[in-house]
Amino acid sequence: MPGADPTLARAELESKLADIRSRMVAYGIFPSPLGRILIARSELGVSMVRYIDSDDAARSHIARLAGDEVVEDTTTLEPVYRELLDYLNARGTRLSWPLDLRWAKSEFQRRVLAATSDLPYGAVASYGGIAKRVGAPESVRAVAQALRHNPLPIVIPCHRVIGSTGDLTGYAGTRIGLKEQLLTLEGVPVSGGGHRVDRNHMYAWAGPDREYCVPSCGGLSEMPLAKLTLFGSRRHAEAVGLSPCSSCRPDLHPLPA
Amino acid sequence: MVRDMTEDPFEAIVATHHAEIHRYLVRATSRPGDADDLSQETFVRAYKAYRALPPDANVRAWLFTIATNLSRNHFRSEGRRRQAMAVVAVGASEHSPTWPEGEAIANQASARIDRLVATLPFKQRVAFTMRKVHELDYDAIGQSLDCSAESARAHVFQALRKIRQGLDDFDVVQTER
Repeated sequence: MPGADPTLARAELESKLADIRSRMVAYGIFPSPLGRILIARSELGVSMVRYIDSDDAARSHIARLAGDEVVEDTTTLEPVYRELLDYLNARGTRLSWPLDLRWAKSEFQRRVLAATSDLPYGAVASYGGIAKRVGAPESVRAVAQALRHNPLPIVIPCHRVIGSTGDLTGYAGTRIGLKEQLLTLEGVPVSGGGHRVDRNHMYAWAGPDREYCVPSCGGLSEMPLAKLTLFGSRRHAEAVGLSPCSSCRPDLHPLPA
Repeated sequence: MVRDMTEDPFEAIVATHHAEIHRYLVRATSRPGDADDLSQETFVRAYKAYRALPPDANVRAWLFTIATNLSRNHFRSEGRRRQAMAVVAVGASEHSPTWPEGEAIANQASARIDRLVATLPFKQRVAFTMRKVHELDYDAIGQSLDCSAESARAHVFQALRKIRQGLDDFDVVQTER
């Protein structure tokens, strides 16, 4: 007799809830040292971080993105927010969340974001360097575009990617000041009115060995930035397992602080 | 450390309350097929809203409220009243839901009561069911029907009166055969 046995109804309900759960996005809007930020997550992981100027603009933005499966839920976002706050207050260097790249626009962008994720704390690379890493060394502009539309700023550290001349270039639209703040937080020296990283003041890693150098070592100063990862401090280079170059000995001849 | 992204307290809510809400909706709608749809809709709505509940909320009463609202809207929009009466008149005893096993009522009598409950006006029917089958208190029933506990009590009282009248009429007919 239809409907008398709730078992089938229960099974259909579970299926429907699983479907909703997979599409559901929970978000919270929080204060931070960089202004108000929106953090959103799905059941798979954190899916969006956004700097926002007004809460209403943020809500309509996310409603447009996720349709009617959007729920404001600051409670479950709270632990994510706490970690982000620790990071922004220089109390932590890692953001250890599972990520959901559902709002990445293309496979190419996903590859760019993955390569960018590998950049260590306190280090910078160039757009050309990222293009090399994803096997598309000519696609520098496309890399810049991909990072411009990074759905997870801070978490996926597009702030650590700079122009080939050391210029910070763009960030989250017009928010280049935030890029400078994040780099400064990580100990990357920014000069030129806040718009340049000077490679002459940074340790460099060219690979393929695991040694980092002072900028004057060997032929480093002639190498294009695309081949290098630059570190603001010895500490951060050594934190990812690099050791001082046996030739230029940055441990004996460190750069002036 | 961020907790597992997939744990969901709502699963416990479904496990605890689904069967009972489904049973309730079978009686509230008088059509078992509708109960499947409406119980699903009840829990989908609850899933989207439960995070906003205060920690000490009466989840069971809240679910009954959602279910009652849905069945009332369903009832109004689909004009099921006449159809329910027709179903009853055609002798739908073989489709009647039986009462819980714990109650010591003979099958024939329970089928008779079911038919009578199905003919009650909506508010009396659901108030009676919530009180006698699901043992909700009058505050919870009032919350579900958006009325006072006193009004809820009155609905149950009226329902009992009509059912007893209906049973008496049946007995009178039986004895005159």
